[in-house]
Parts: sequence; C-alpha cells; structure tokens
Amino acid sequence: MQLDDFSTRAGEWLSGEGPHSDVVISSRIRLARNLADHLFLSRADDRQKRLVADEVSEALDSLDGSMKLKRMDIEDLDSIDRLLLLERHLISREHAFAKGARAVAFDAGETTSVMINEEDHLRQQVMRSGFQLEEAWRAMDEMDRRLEEELDFAFDDQYGYLTACPTNVGTGLRASVMLHLPALVMTRQIEKVFQAVTKINLAVRGLFGEGTQALGDFYQISNQRTLGLSEEEVIGNISSILPQIISFEHKIRKELLSSKREVLEDKVWRAYGALANARVISSKETMETLSLVRLGVTTDLVGHLEIHHVNELFLFTQPGHLQKVEGQELDSKERDIVRATQVREYLDDLQAT
Amino acid sequence: MEIGEGAAMKCEICRESVATVHLTEISNNMKKEVHLCESCAQEKGVAIHSQVKNLSLPEFFGQLTDAPPSTEKQKKAQSCAVCGIDYQEFRATGKFGCASDYQIFRKELDYLLDKVHGAVQHRGKMPMRLGLEMSKRRQVDDLKKELRSAVESEEYEQAANIRDRIHMLERG
Repeated sequence: MQLDDFSTRAGEWLSGEGPHSDVVISSRIRLARNLADHLFLSRADDRQKRLVADEVSEALDSLDGSMKLKRMDIEDLDSIDRLLLLERHLISREHAFAKGARAVAFDAGETTSVMINEEDHLRQQVMRSGFQLEEAWRAMDEMDRRLEEELDFAFDDQYGYLTACPTNVGTGLRASVMLHLPALVMTRQIEKVFQAVTKINLAVRGLFGEGTQALGDFYQISNQRTLGLSEEEVIGNISSILPQIISFEHKIRKELLSSKREVLEDKVWRAYGALANARVISSKETMETLSLVRLGVTTDLVGHLEIHHVNELFLFTQPGHLQKVEGQELDSKERDIVRATQVREYLDDLQAT
Repeated sequence: MEIGEGAAMKCEICRESVATVHLTEISNNMKKEVHLCESCAQEKGVAIHSQVKNLSLPEFFGQLTDAPPSTEKQKKAQSCAVCGIDYQEFRATGKFGCASDYQIFRKELDYLLDKVHGAVQHRGKMPMRLGLEMSKRRQVDDLKKELRSAVESEEYEQAANIRDRIHMLERG
C-alpha cells in the first residue's frame, strides 16, 4: 500500500523551503466546487454520491504532468490510514470519518489534492512550503481551469460558484498561511496580531483548524469572505498584512536574542533535552518543546538541525503516524511511549551523521 | 496597519476619542487606512463582521434577532422542487440541498449574504465557457452599436464589414 512510506517522509510543503519559512510554515489554497446537475451532498443518497465520485474521478484522470493524482476511496481505508491522511492535511476530519462514497486524490509530493464528496462535490487544494500564496493560487487556478474543461460546475451570475454552505459561495476560495510565532506568544504580543488580522476580516485559528487554543505557537490566518472580492483581492489581503507580522516576529526574536540570550538559549536547549531524552512524552509536550527547538533552529541557537527536521517531527509524532509505524492501534499511554522512542531515535540518527 | 505601534491617534470621524479600531481597506489595489474610535466604528457598522466570524451558520441564525421580514411573514414555507428543503431546514443545518436553492431562497439569501460577506455580488473568476459566451455577447453588442452609427452616417461599406463580423461571432 502506498501509505506505508508515509511514516518516514513528509509532504513537500513541509520541506522548510520557500520565502520566510522561518516564520511561515506553509501556504494553502482551497477551492470548493459542485457539479451543476447533481444534488448537494446533504441531500444525495449513496447511489448519487457514487455517480458524482465517478464523474469527478474521470475528470481527474484527464489531468497529467504535475497534476497527475492518485485516487483512494476513503471507505477502503482503515482508521489508522484515515488518520494518516488527516494529519497530512490531505483530508478533513469530517471527510475521514463521515459515511458514504467519498474519495481523495493527491500527487506524490502531496502539494495538490482533491477531496471528492466532502461538504461539496470537490474541494481542490494546493499547498506550498513557506510564504507562496500567489504561486499556490496560480497552480490552483490552472487545475480548476483544466477540470472545468471536463466538468460542468454550478455557477450563478450573481452568486458565483454555488456551494453547499453560503459561507463559501462566490469564489469558493479559502486561502491560508500557517505561521510559527513563538516570540510573539512568549512576549504576550500575539494579541496585537489577532486584533490586526481580525480587523481586516481575516480569521485566526490554532494548528489543526477549529478551536482557539493553539498548541506550540502555531496559528493559521485565512480569509473569511468569499463573496464580493476577486480571488486576487482575497490573496492580496493576506499578502499585504503578512510581511508586517513576519517582521514583527523577527523584531521580537532579535530583541530576545540580544537582551535575554541566556534565558532563551536555556529554554531552547531544555526543550531539546526533553525531546532527546524523554521515555514518555505527551503530544502537548512534544508540540511545545518542538516549537522551542524550531525557534532555536531559526535563530541559529541549534546548529545541527534544519527546519525540515523539526517540521517532520511535528508530523511523525501525531497519533496516526505513530500507529502506522507500530502497525497497530495504540491507546494514548502507549502512544506517549512510542512517541518518545521515535523522537529520540530520530534525533540520535541526526547526531550520528 | 502597523502592528505593535501603540501611539494614541484621534478618531477620524469625531476627532475627539482615541482611535482604537484600525482598518486597512484594500480596493482597486489601493491600500487605505482608517482609524476610528469604538463608538464611531460601531456606528459605521465595521464591528459586524468581526462578530460574525467563527460562528457556524446555525449559530449565526440564532444571533439574528431581526430576521428578514419576508421569512417572518411567509408562514407557509416555500420548499425547493428539486431537493425538497425549505428555508427553515436550511436555517437549522446551514446547508443547501442543491444549486436551485440559491434561486428559490434568493430574497432571504441576499440579506444573509450581506451580513456574512458584506456583499451580494460575485466578483471573482467564472467558468471559461461562460466567460467566453459573455465576452462574445459583449463584443456583439458593441459591434451592433458600431453598425447603427455606420448606417446612420451612411458608411455602407464599413457597415457591411461590421455585419459580417457579427455573423461570424454569432455562428462560431
């Protein structure tokens, strides 16, 4: 099964490359589309869902080159594999555990994907490492244009692309960036970012979508409005505020390094010590310590790691990935042990090379 | 706006209170900054969107005390002939059952979309097939105007050329 190598490699969007990847982990564009002459999913029965899935799959088969996608039926996957796809941002939680005919298709680098029969018939997604929203949009626009040659999307002159939920209607576009803002959180300045961002109608969320309490200093900023603005305007709104957030985080990191270097160094290396030596470690502690180590790597306090190593560890320590490595379901206590072992071995290997 | 700058600034409307709401409006690629005090901002209605965010649609409906007048009066709920849902059901789930619902519930929807998005008209991309049709329609309309003025000014040779171009567009 293709998913077997998932526990040893990360998607390309976690490569730690791309502009400003010390602060911006990834950029993501999502487009919601529905087929014109099919019921939306809340009213579709299983036969109708299958028809949609077949029609969309056929259209996806016509894509080639970098857009060549491999399709998987979610119903064929066990719960560990579903979790794996969820943790890799290839499917949503709803898509992982809902009922009925549904699928996901993605490329080898996991930068392009399509959820079939989630809340809408299609949810297309493009991910990029670092701050590359505009580039991600260009790739998304191109795929959408290619699919449109094969599929008849529900569209209205006034309302634009029609979606199951009116909060997505119009462009159907959700653009987001995942940020790592440890210095702003540490100095209690993060609230200022929240205020600035929400004032221009953008939303801030914690690492895995819903919920406000972000673990490990990770925040996602995304647009709220999908109607009345062009795609370029939506992306421009995020792109215009982002440089200010990035330079704010940079400024505080620099200040911390010059005024409280020993304190910061101590925090970072204690976190590293915990990760390198723990025998039992919770997912919460892993997130918090990895966040500090990431800060250490980007400020050259930790020399032998690179950003992509830390990014990988964030992914590999998630429950689905741990269970995949062990080849069985684990309860949370068992996971804490396996997690500690995995992290320790990962860091040992790096030290050895 | 500048994040992390704490300098006290006067409200641009009343010019008395301290501006605590800083907006960056972006239209036509021009960035415009507006600084308002809390009460002027609320009067301008800029606070609405920040309250709406992060609510699910059913939660949002729950907050609406001033439901659109048309839904209150319509005791007999109209339902969609294609998917069968009525507006009450949509309010409960926040989800439509098919594309036609956007036509059936147009009146209520404009009110809702204005609250959620601050707009009721799509301005983004459109399917290529529609885009082509639309641009063709526009070209034909323009040419017809040119044709009329050519005929009026008795430039018949030019009029004949324009007529041929219209025919070509309409056929292709």
